[in-house]
Amino acid sequence: MEIHTGLTGPFPRSEALVAATRDLDRGRTTADRVAALYRSAETEIVGLEERLGFDTLTGGYLDWPDLFRPFAEGWTGFAVGPVTRWFETNTFYRQPILHAPPERVPGAVARRLPVTPAARGIQRARVILPGPYTFAGLLDNRSGETVEGLVHRLGRLLAEEVRELRAVGYTTIQFQEPLLVVTPPTGARAEAVVAAYQSLATAADGLTTVLWTFFGDAVPVWPLLNRLPASVLGVDLAETEPGHLPPLADRRGLGLGILDPRTTLVEDPSEVARVAREVVGRTRPSSLWLGPGAPLDLLPWEPATRKLHLLPAARQALQRGDDD
Amino acid sequence: MTDRPLFPTQEIGSIARPRWQLLGQRGEPIDETARAEFETWSARTRFVAPDDPGVGRFLAGHSREIGAARIRDWGALFGLRYFESAGLDRVYDGEARRIEMYEYPIRQMTGFEFLGHVRSFDNKYYLKAAVTKEIGLERPYHLDEFDFVKTHAHAEPKLPITGPYTLADWSFNEYYLGRQKGWKGPGARRAAQREFVVEIARRAIRPTLAALIAKGCRVIQIDEPAAGTHPDEAALVADGFNAATEGLDAEFSMHICFSNYRNLFPALLEAKRCAQWALEFANRDGDGRDGYEILEIFPEYKDHRSIGLGVLDVHRDVIETPEVVADRIGRAAKFLGDPTKIWVNPDCGLRTRRLDIAYTKLTNMVAGARLARAAAAG
Repeated sequence: MEIHTGLTGPFPRSEALVAATRDLDRGRTTADRVAALYRSAETEIVGLEERLGFDTLTGGYLDWPDLFRPFAEGWTGFAVGPVTRWFETNTFYRQPILHAPPERVPGAVARRLPVTPAARGIQRARVILPGPYTFAGLLDNRSGETVEGLVHRLGRLLAEEVRELRAVGYTTIQFQEPLLVVTPPTGARAEAVVAAYQSLATAADGLTTVLWTFFGDAVPVWPLLNRLPASVLGVDLAETEPGHLPPLADRRGLGLGILDPRTTLVEDPSEVARVAREVVGRTRPSSLWLGPGAPLDLLPWEPATRKLHLLPAARQALQRGDDD
Repeated sequence: MTDRPLFPTQEIGSIARPRWQLLGQRGEPIDETARAEFETWSARTRFVAPDDPGVGRFLAGHSREIGAARIRDWGALFGLRYFESAGLDRVYDGEARRIEMYEYPIRQMTGFEFLGHVRSFDNKYYLKAAVTKEIGLERPYHLDEFDFVKTHAHAEPKLPITGPYTLADWSFNEYYLGRQKGWKGPGARRAAQREFVVEIARRAIRPTLAALIAKGCRVIQIDEPAAGTHPDEAALVADGFNAATEGLDAEFSMHICFSNYRNLFPALLEAKRCAQWALEFANRDGDGRDGYEILEIFPEYKDHRSIGLGVLDVHRDVIETPEVVADRIGRAAKFLGDPTKIWVNPDCGLRTRRLDIAYTKLTNMVAGARLARAAAAG
């Protein structure tokens, strides 16, 4: 079985970037200087991803203020709203306010993607986008459209985004869906989610799509997740007890979030291998994708970097059967 | 305090740092704006004697000569007189000596390592530490600050201090999680967090509270802004409160804001030594006073502790009139069923508002309490 490793969300900013962006806000530096620092930090992250043998490269999404901002600023129908708590963390996002049915602006999001991963070989780049359910659920919907209608619509718009990305050569697209496991949809809303992912799957035919859940327990929503057509289902093992995870309903990849960004304690590779082997034996995935359970930007740069080294160590331990 | 009026008033936390204090502490000469600010507030609150020769030197631009320590003292005096002149019954110094509420207390403890910045949102960050060893207390903190307030306050002082749950929630839990056996999943994380909260309460916060009480501190507000972050951990907030205050004799309150209180109660009621819930309401209030309906839970749970009633929205410049304040108090009294349990305060610290706006809000709050008192007297 193939074992993939890679980042599953944004990486923290370096201390130099923290200082520079603060200076920018205080008028003590220029946007050009900060942009140059973003590029050098992104290059550093891609270098780290390559050194650690990751199968996909992200670049860390350092200049995305939050998961939704490129959409709220780049598509029509949105305004950037108030600072809002990002799930049960001490971090926040600016809630998009939807005033009218959203419309996609071609190129607007693609322009905001990290450039270094694509420059190193676009087929190795992992694009990370909001999933339609999380996007619909976390915005302030003043458009008059129902949540179900919005999930449908965002699914179609994101599918157009996928087509555009596919046309330029991207092959791995990840959708962030924390809300699916924090506030699982039921009834008509769940059916809207299924339909949205069908739109995405059609657009992504032949690509690898990763649906990553985090900040919540995937077990109660496992039947629905298994209905969603994605190549890989990712779960956050700090929130989902690995022993409770049921078998996959069909042959597909399983993402195991083995790094917990809520603590700086570095996980033990042998323990990770033991747990992963047990989960794989029960869920029978076609491939295994190891990564952080939730975005690593809950950590400062240095501890996040330290934690990332666990991924190749865990892969090796799994391949060697260290835990046996 | 049997002579306390109905609907007494209090502050909750910090106010905006005056420009003259910021410049002065940095050793920079004050500019025209800062000088005008100093003179305006000096005339209004009399926080320094106008014939103090040091004041003259400071206003003449000699900040370095005056020194940061004395300028901080003036900042603390300003905070005290600001609240007192607004007419509040319980006061503090506006947290004039504090930069923030996390890093300073953690730096007084042992067992922590600061590891770098985490982004809060946009280009805003906070420094975050990990607990890596058993927690200890280097020295009890806020003691000098309290001494100063006690010496100079005309009204009753109420000291604010960051609570154990918030300090733990805002830190990385490395040490206690590392002691859990096996996979560090949800169960292990919960157990480790409980240990962390209770240990920081016992080993660092309780000794600090004991030292403050020994210096004469009688009224202490334990701030738990993180309490609403993980609603399923409300019982742990109470456990931390109990561990921090165990065996101590003072009047303790708990301040929480911008949370869904229905998620926190009744679990929080287990904080046995908490005499008052100081909560934000105005921010969520509408014309129908529906922001105060939640108070019904206290009689429902037969909880008879006092309420620190937030009547000023700290996030908006709109100035609440005395009539609005009085109306909020009256409405809250109906929901609570007992007007004698109400203390009147802003939702939270007024730091985000300009000093003149915050001051008008506070004077209107005091006037509103007076109106409500008159209405209650018939």
